[in-house]
Amino acid sequence: MIAGLFWPLLSGAIGLGLWQGLVWAFNVPSFLLPGPWQILLTIFQQWPYLLAQLGITMAAAGLGLLISVALGLAAGAAIASSRLVDRMMTPWLVIAHAIPKVVIAPLFLVWFGFGLQSEVFFVVAFTFFPVIVNTVTGLKSADPEQLLMVRAMGATPAQVLHKIQFPSALASICAGIKLAVTLAPVGAVIGEFVASNAGLGHLLIRAVGDMDTPLAFAAVTVFSIFGVLLWRAAEWVERRVLPWHPSQRDSFLLRDAST
Amino acid sequence: MRTISWEFGVERKGKRVLAADRNWDMGDRAAAAASAIFLDNVEKTYGGRSGVRALAPITAVLSAGETVGIVGPSGCGKSTLMRLIAGLEAPTAGAIRIGDRPVSGPVPDIGIVFQRDLLLEWRRVLANVMLPAEIKGLAGLESRARELLAELDIAGFAEAYPWQLSGGMRQRVAIARALLTGPKLLFLDEPFSALDALTRDQMNVLLQRLQTSHGVTTLLITHSISEAIFCADRVLVMSGRPGSVLDDIRVPFERPRRLALRETPAFTAIGRRIREHFEKAGVLVG
Repeated sequence: MIAGLFWPLLSGAIGLGLWQGLVWAFNVPSFLLPGPWQILLTIFQQWPYLLAQLGITMAAAGLGLLISVALGLAAGAAIASSRLVDRMMTPWLVIAHAIPKVVIAPLFLVWFGFGLQSEVFFVVAFTFFPVIVNTVTGLKSADPEQLLMVRAMGATPAQVLHKIQFPSALASICAGIKLAVTLAPVGAVIGEFVASNAGLGHLLIRAVGDMDTPLAFAAVTVFSIFGVLLWRAAEWVERRVLPWHPSQRDSFLLRDAST
Repeated sequence: MRTISWEFGVERKGKRVLAADRNWDMGDRAAAAASAIFLDNVEKTYGGRSGVRALAPITAVLSAGETVGIVGPSGCGKSTLMRLIAGLEAPTAGAIRIGDRPVSGPVPDIGIVFQRDLLLEWRRVLANVMLPAEIKGLAGLESRARELLAELDIAGFAEAYPWQLSGGMRQRVAIARALLTGPKLLFLDEPFSALDALTRDQMNVLLQRLQTSHGVTTLLITHSISEAIFCADRVLVMSGRPGSVLDDIRVPFERPRRLALRETPAFTAIGRRIREHFEKAGVLVG
């Protein structure tokens, strides 16, 4: 554990040291490029403010994520269980997915107004597709022989979905949600660029406008660290949900001990 | 105009089986008739009129409590026949009846073991065995599930995940799952063909034990001639394209049978008889 951290820490320290050294040596003005030390100081000085803005961004990201996971699962189940729904919905999904979301961000301002709702809708647009695509793929890739087996046991379509298709799809669904988890804060920040007067996105726009580059860097740093933590949290949840999955197994085999 | 001829089982009773049916004593009859399988000119063609004929008309009676082995080369329609009896597919022509009930949809009272164990990887062993009870909405079968695991010598693995088990152990779990709801019929579709030879022998002995203790009407589909003879009371020899029954052999050995039985002349004679059918049909050349 400690040994595993040595090289990344060393590499990081050298990189940050070079950065700081160059900033000092060439006397780079802080509105152009602040050094790591100044960024760290700014984070400490502005901590309550940064944290409050991060909270706003994450609230919007979380709410949007919840909505798109719920929608994605429901729509994915509908598509996977009905060929008609599949044929009618899939072309629309492909087209909707092909539209660059960032390009239509200003339209969300027109449709949903200034504020949180616009931001949340933008997060949904940003994160919906990885969830639905992975849900559909997962539900459709259930073992056909297992499906035959439970039908032979007399399972209803709802039971087939609940007992076989959904658990088989869980690994794929988790992959989709993990993607969505990392996309959601990005979506929220872009939403805030366009349609909000709060949150990290708004803070960034303001800081850059004020030439307060250290504050902008501080915001980006806090945001990135939080993104990594979020990813770790998603992985932790995945391990709890999928203890049986090959990607989560320990190498220990009971059969080696028994036979 | 279709003539109904119950040709198999004829040798055994010396009479037509339908007549023999009346000779059974009344107590046995209700129970036996419930799980005897009657095939009346059953045939199956895939893909319409000009399609592939998987099964030529087959007429047979499989008596209750009997273990019938079906041997034949790949693609001889063994598995098709099983799916038809289980009601998973409909025959193109002919009729199937289990006891008094005609088969017209999935038959609820069948336990099926497939070549692949089909265990659900996300469930522990006990939960896998309980699957049919959950689907059929039957409560209170957990103690029976644990008994079955004990009978199959895997009681200690009730809380293990399938990936922690060896192939033979996984297949035992699949057998426990098939027997959980106390089915009248047990269908084994090449259940041991993915196992190594030693494990396979073990499983054959185990199957013997189960047949003695459960007495379920069993259909064992296999590629292995010796497995069929060893496990079954009766062996149907099938040949392919379209599948048809070449021979119906009664296996006279008493139970419990030991693996050494396979080296006895009587045993090998039956094996030779089956192989000769395959040689004549051009399946085996040698």
